[in-house]
Amino acid sequence: MGSRCRAWAWTRAWALAEFQPRAEEGAAAAGGYPSTGRCRCSLRGMEGTAVAVFEILRFLIIHWKCDIDVSKGALLEGQLVISIEGLNSKHQANALHCVTTIASAGSLFGGMVLKKFLKEIQSILPGISAKLTWTSEEGSYSQDMTGVDEKPRTLMTDCLVIKHFLRKIIMVHPKVRFHFSVKVNGILSTEIFGVENEPTLNLGNGIALVVDSQHYVSRPNFGTIESHCSRIHPVLGHPVMLFIPEDVAGMDLLGELILTPAAALCPSPKVSSNQLNRISSVSIFLYGPLGLPLILSTWEQPMTTFFKDTSSLVDWKKYHLCMIPNLDLNLDRDLVLPDVSYQVESSEEDQSQNMDPQGQTLLLFLFVDFHSAFPVQQMEIWGVYTLLTTHLNAILVESHSVVQGSIQFTVDKVLEQHHQAAKAQQKLQASLSVAVNSIMSILTGSTRSSFRKMCLQTLQAADTQEFGTKLHKVFREITQHQFLHHCSCEVKQQLTLEKKDSAQGTEDAPDNSSLELLADTSGQAENKRLKRGSPRIEEMRSLRSARAPSPSEAAPRRPEATAAPLTPRGREDREAHGRALAPGRASLRSRLEDVLWLQEVSNLSEWLSPSPGP
Amino acid sequence: MAFAPMGPEASFFEVLDRHRESLLAALRRGGREPPSGGSRLASSSEVLASIENIIQDIITSLARNEAPAFTIDNRSSWENIKFEDSVGLQMVSHCTTRKIKSDSPKSAQKFALILKILSMIYKLVQSNTYATKRDIYYTDSQLFGNQTVVDNIINDISCMLKVSRRSLHILSTSKGLIAGNLRYIEEDGTKVNCTCGATAVAVPSNIQGIRNLVTDAKFVLIVEKDATFQRLLDDNFCNKLSPCIMITGKGVPDLNTRLLVKKLWDTFHIPVFTLVDADPHGIEIMCIYKYGSMSMSFEAHHLTVPAIRWLGLLPSDLKRLNVPKDSLIPLTKRDQMKLDSILRRPYVTCQPFWRKEMEIMADSKMKAEIQALTFLSSDYLSRVYLPNKLKFGGWI
Repeated sequence: MGSRCRAWAWTRAWALAEFQPRAEEGAAAAGGYPSTGRCRCSLRGMEGTAVAVFEILRFLIIHWKCDIDVSKGALLEGQLVISIEGLNSKHQANALHCVTTIASAGSLFGGMVLKKFLKEIQSILPGISAKLTWTSEEGSYSQDMTGVDEKPRTLMTDCLVIKHFLRKIIMVHPKVRFHFSVKVNGILSTEIFGVENEPTLNLGNGIALVVDSQHYVSRPNFGTIESHCSRIHPVLGHPVMLFIPEDVAGMDLLGELILTPAAALCPSPKVSSNQLNRISSVSIFLYGPLGLPLILSTWEQPMTTFFKDTSSLVDWKKYHLCMIPNLDLNLDRDLVLPDVSYQVESSEEDQSQNMDPQGQTLLLFLFVDFHSAFPVQQMEIWGVYTLLTTHLNAILVESHSVVQGSIQFTVDKVLEQHHQAAKAQQKLQASLSVAVNSIMSILTGSTRSSFRKMCLQTLQAADTQEFGTKLHKVFREITQHQFLHHCSCEVKQQLTLEKKDSAQGTEDAPDNSSLELLADTSGQAENKRLKRGSPRIEEMRSLRSARAPSPSEAAPRRPEATAAPLTPRGREDREAHGRALAPGRASLRSRLEDVLWLQEVSNLSEWLSPSPGP
Repeated sequence: MAFAPMGPEASFFEVLDRHRESLLAALRRGGREPPSGGSRLASSSEVLASIENIIQDIITSLARNEAPAFTIDNRSSWENIKFEDSVGLQMVSHCTTRKIKSDSPKSAQKFALILKILSMIYKLVQSNTYATKRDIYYTDSQLFGNQTVVDNIINDISCMLKVSRRSLHILSTSKGLIAGNLRYIEEDGTKVNCTCGATAVAVPSNIQGIRNLVTDAKFVLIVEKDATFQRLLDDNFCNKLSPCIMITGKGVPDLNTRLLVKKLWDTFHIPVFTLVDADPHGIEIMCIYKYGSMSMSFEAHHLTVPAIRWLGLLPSDLKRLNVPKDSLIPLTKRDQMKLDSILRRPYVTCQPFWRKEMEIMADSKMKAEIQALTFLSSDYLSRVYLPNKLKFGGWI
């Protein structure tokens, strides 16, 4: 009650954190800023303002989830304002004196104890000395600062990197909004990052993935091409437990690291164009606990480690794809940039066939979460996050077989859908050709001039050849129009509407593809899954170095009372204890996966099953 | 008479003759109504015009930016089938339909296949050539997938255009055999004499084209199985019980065999009997001859012979003749289901004796083939069983 009163008192007041990175850290951005305007560096080596913003935002979000009374499955909701002001430095030529402010709107941090906040944030941000100022109605606290100057290009890079980070956050925290403004010598630019009212897919555990395709892949005239579905349709993979190598300096975590992959093709495979679809690139997005983007440390550069081997995650040869790492990352785009990017080497066959030149991107989301039977403390989450950012490579290498198994299974499903869609499309095209040729055969064979004349006049064709062309065109347009709207999005909406009466919290817009409603109402299915057990998690424990088993339906057991420490020494005990994922999350994921799968292929199966006889 | 009298004396056929009289009297009383709806023999120009009209409708739909669709009668739906004792199973006049849409994932392919077969029919009719359903399938077996698809589409087209399959210049392959006191001339002028010998004559593929049928048969015996038919041929049954006609469809009869039986009845009104195994499958085959099938109900008037009687093998004969149990076969689950299905059919209600026989079978849970009679003697069927049945009216 006390914290609630404080929250009310802070309504419309804001917690302000001001900081100014150290000068030497502000200039650490690798690479320059070429005159073409593209930055050739990724998030590697970023320090200074960007790092400080990341760390503070991360801290705030963790605090938000852990210390504020936010129920486990609920999405974070609120606004944060980040503003950077740069003025010409008085101490250094061609440099800007930068002050960054982070503020929250509303009662987000009403329960935050000021002194505790400052102490905690100071301890986790040793590189950020400077002046941390906290302003509220209750007073202000500050520390002495040293001056900080940054090169303009450094500041520009930092801003791009911060924007990228914000985009990544809102992709899984759709109810969080960021106001980001940069003021340089009085010239202000502001950008708002928010995705309210966009369709999302609830992943459970307080995060939901935005499924609007335009965030992930840019395509010329995307919105005008009717042949694309505007959403991605992620397929969730089976969660797998990650192993921490023994040589990793450990912290005793009372819980497990669980990786859950999700994959989708973008644009959606429900393409009904005349062109065949091909995979042209792969984008991998890394998220840590609570949906925080994983910003890997300098020595954990993705492309030099686990992900450098393109086959570490998926056997691409199975799909006749040859992947090469794509090191070309352009920060200056309005898309959510992947952490890892691969390109497909196109073959001559692709060029000779009627292939879509732009192709599709396979989006792969890797969510690493932390599960514990005990209430998770804020610092514990922080520690897990730090562990991941510094040792992700080693962890993934150690868990290679299970990781690859789960991701392969997920990608198999997505690409199988793609394959099914391509087959359905081919079948349609073949049927169209048969129909057109049959009509042409009758028309050209007819000896009745009135019949021929009428046919030509109806389609406004001058001769038989033109008639054939128009006939094919109009047939294609009519059938494509039907198939374009015959998308799994409609099925999801239908399912959502069907469950609306019995579901809780149906205030979302109808086109919000959240499947939370289904999760809430299908308790019986969950019970059935619970009974089946969790072969995947159990097998992982007993076969630590074995390859992943063939994917089976993941169904968790109820978590047991004992906990196993997540240290190398404690691993032997872990097998004896055996715990499972929280049933809500994994069972929900299983249901989501099945429902998504069924939705995706429901309409495809009609094409591929025999026509019913009369 | 053109045939040498080799059969029994005239008194043997007294009961048969009386039966025939009763059938003729029933016909005169019934005054069968002309077939309403159903298919008819259409001229080539009519068929071509019908197909062109369909194409015009399709193109008109396309011009309006509407996806064209075929409207097909639900031939195999019980709700569209009625039973009349004088006709058998036939389609109702206003039956339910279904749409074969060109823009639906489920039906786009079938839509295209219907057009494909229509175009093939168009060419056949134009060129005055004929093809069997099998020929059509093999023109593009990969496209069609299987023969059943072709068969169903052809039936749908026949029903849709309301013309007989013959009018579409599509023939069904005949597999039936005929033997006995019958001669006729085929459409191409070939003279056929089915007088019993060691071999039988194949049922012609163009029943509608045969003319100058001549017979003095006292009865027509439809035999379910070819094995039984051959056995009777070997036993010189046609001569022993001359004058008669024997015919077999070798199991489920093809269209031409059914057409021939129908033609014999329509032309001569001689009693028609069936000799089938005492099992549900045999009974169902008998029902096809007598009342027709669901899938061909739209052509019932040309195919059914409601005057058919069940001569044997009756389930009650098994007990009467003390057929040993080791000659009997237990009913399988599939037999049980089929028997239950037949008992539920509308025509069984007006055949109380048939119903009783089926109930005997259901109660005993046993079935028997005609060959079970060989336990008595190898020629018991042709020497004793059938003659006695025919002489003393042992049919139901």
